[in-house]
Amino acid sequence: MSWKKELEEKVKREKLSEKLGGSERVKRQHDSGRYTVRERIHLLTDKNSFQEVGKIAGKAIYDDNNDLIDFKGSNFIFGKAKIDGRTIIVGGDDFTLRGGSADASIKEKHHKCEEMALSLKLPLIRIVEGSGGGGSVKTIETTGRANVPEVEGWDLVVKSMGTIPRVALGLGSVAGLGAAHLASSHYSVMVKDKSAMFVAGPPVVAQIGQNLTKNELGGYKIQLKSGAVDDAVDTEEEAFEAAKKFLSYLPNSINELTEQIKTEDNSNRSAEWLIEAIPKDIKSVYKIRPIIEELVDKGSFFEISKEFGKSVVTGFCRLNGWSIALMASDPYSYGGCWTAETCKKVQKFVDLAETFHLPIIYLVDCPGFQVGLDAEKKGTIKEGVRAMSAIWQTKTPWMSIIIRNCFGVAGAAHKRGSSFITRYAWPSARWGSLPLEGGIEAAYRKDIENSSNPKKELEKINIRLNKLRSPLRTAESFWIEEIIDPRNTRELMCEFADLSAPLRTTGLTHRTMRP
Amino acid sequence: MIYSEVSGTISEILVSNNQIVDNDSTLIVIECMKMLIPINAKKKGKIIKIFVNEGDVINEGDKILDISYI
Repeated sequence: MSWKKELEEKVKREKLSEKLGGSERVKRQHDSGRYTVRERIHLLTDKNSFQEVGKIAGKAIYDDNNDLIDFKGSNFIFGKAKIDGRTIIVGGDDFTLRGGSADASIKEKHHKCEEMALSLKLPLIRIVEGSGGGGSVKTIETTGRANVPEVEGWDLVVKSMGTIPRVALGLGSVAGLGAAHLASSHYSVMVKDKSAMFVAGPPVVAQIGQNLTKNELGGYKIQLKSGAVDDAVDTEEEAFEAAKKFLSYLPNSINELTEQIKTEDNSNRSAEWLIEAIPKDIKSVYKIRPIIEELVDKGSFFEISKEFGKSVVTGFCRLNGWSIALMASDPYSYGGCWTAETCKKVQKFVDLAETFHLPIIYLVDCPGFQVGLDAEKKGTIKEGVRAMSAIWQTKTPWMSIIIRNCFGVAGAAHKRGSSFITRYAWPSARWGSLPLEGGIEAAYRKDIENSSNPKKELEKINIRLNKLRSPLRTAESFWIEEIIDPRNTRELMCEFADLSAPLRTTGLTHRTMRP
Repeated sequence: MIYSEVSGTISEILVSNNQIVDNDSTLIVIECMKMLIPINAKKKGKIIKIFVNEGDVINEGDKILDISYI
């Protein structure tokens, strides 16, 4: 007498569950260059580490004797697994079963997955394809009635955004609730030309007169530029690597702090070329990414949302082995001016760092907010004050290094009001309420107009004012604490990372309403 | 195809149709927010068509130049 027979029955059902939507549907998935959800989890996680939960939850067909004829699993698969030896929760849609929609789903599995990650305080990776467990038009027939829209379990998503790292990978066409899951993450990735994300797909959009392909409607070029998705890669394997890399900079939850890792890089390393990294000609731009790469631990910079709000580069890096959130102005985009999109990007990034207790370093070259009609139409100032509030609301250690421009209200957002930050400036730094170039003609209009040689008069004024704007003169009155040799910047950044480590505190971040 | 990532004024056009250009060579310079922003070739390529003239005011997303990368 044993329970062997029952266990054999369980194994039989598990084997049927592994068939997903059947060989024809699996072939179709492969033919379109996409892995099945089980293959994806296998590729993403450490070998044999996946412990599935609810593998035999699904729809069974029985004969008249109540003996099992066939079984199809639910189209959402989840469980615990390890990536690089660290336990995470992973859940993914099975597109081979009713395109991942609610018709073949057991919604409690979605909720349990979210609940498990939130309760165990473990990072969550959601692999999204299809409608992510949301309904389809056919749902009305399968349920026999129309439903009042409700997103059950969304409270768990909201809570986990403030508690655990959430990564979402959009690995096919993603719509409706699936799109909501992809967008509701700390980091999201698409696969170029194989993934698309939209509120509703091309057939629905055609009804409002827009005849677009999936790519034209919600391909990576659209979604990266809109900021709805963070990154796009060429293959699914690269998406898995990106997810792992992103998580490597974060703690398991807000209840933990990231640990220092071993680094071979010398914290005192200086680079001679940094002394001439910023051009003397103030109209000339320079590339910020090589400067970042030089300053951080070798090879540690992980850029996030490269195509969105490009005037500020954001990403994680390591300094002396510590995980740091780094922002840096990019003069190639609007001269480093904060556009409305840049302000949104700064808000999200600063919130991310604050939530998971990462110290922030900001390399500043900001001539102000973007000006002009476009900027006004996009509500730049509204997004700007929201970004400023996000900065002001941080408590995580903050360091700013002014490497060139720092002007106006947006420039002032390199620090958070009167609270202490570690601040340095390079000798190339320039600051003020308004860049002189933007206002000399207006401010000295009478002098210029009354002069017998207006051009010469303007030049004279320029020379006079340029002498006054030396950062050394500002340092005389202690408006800037220290002008540093750019070659020593890495050493100071590493020192900041070391000093910040014991200052980090765990727990929930709290903030009041933003403007 | 290269589209402008900023709004501004075409300050300088450094290439002409059918010209072969090297990787990272500057093709066009846009003046934006008082800064001169170069548009560089991502790879070696041949200029197919230039859609702008010096002094043109352009918007973000405007077509600038068609290049065929080699």
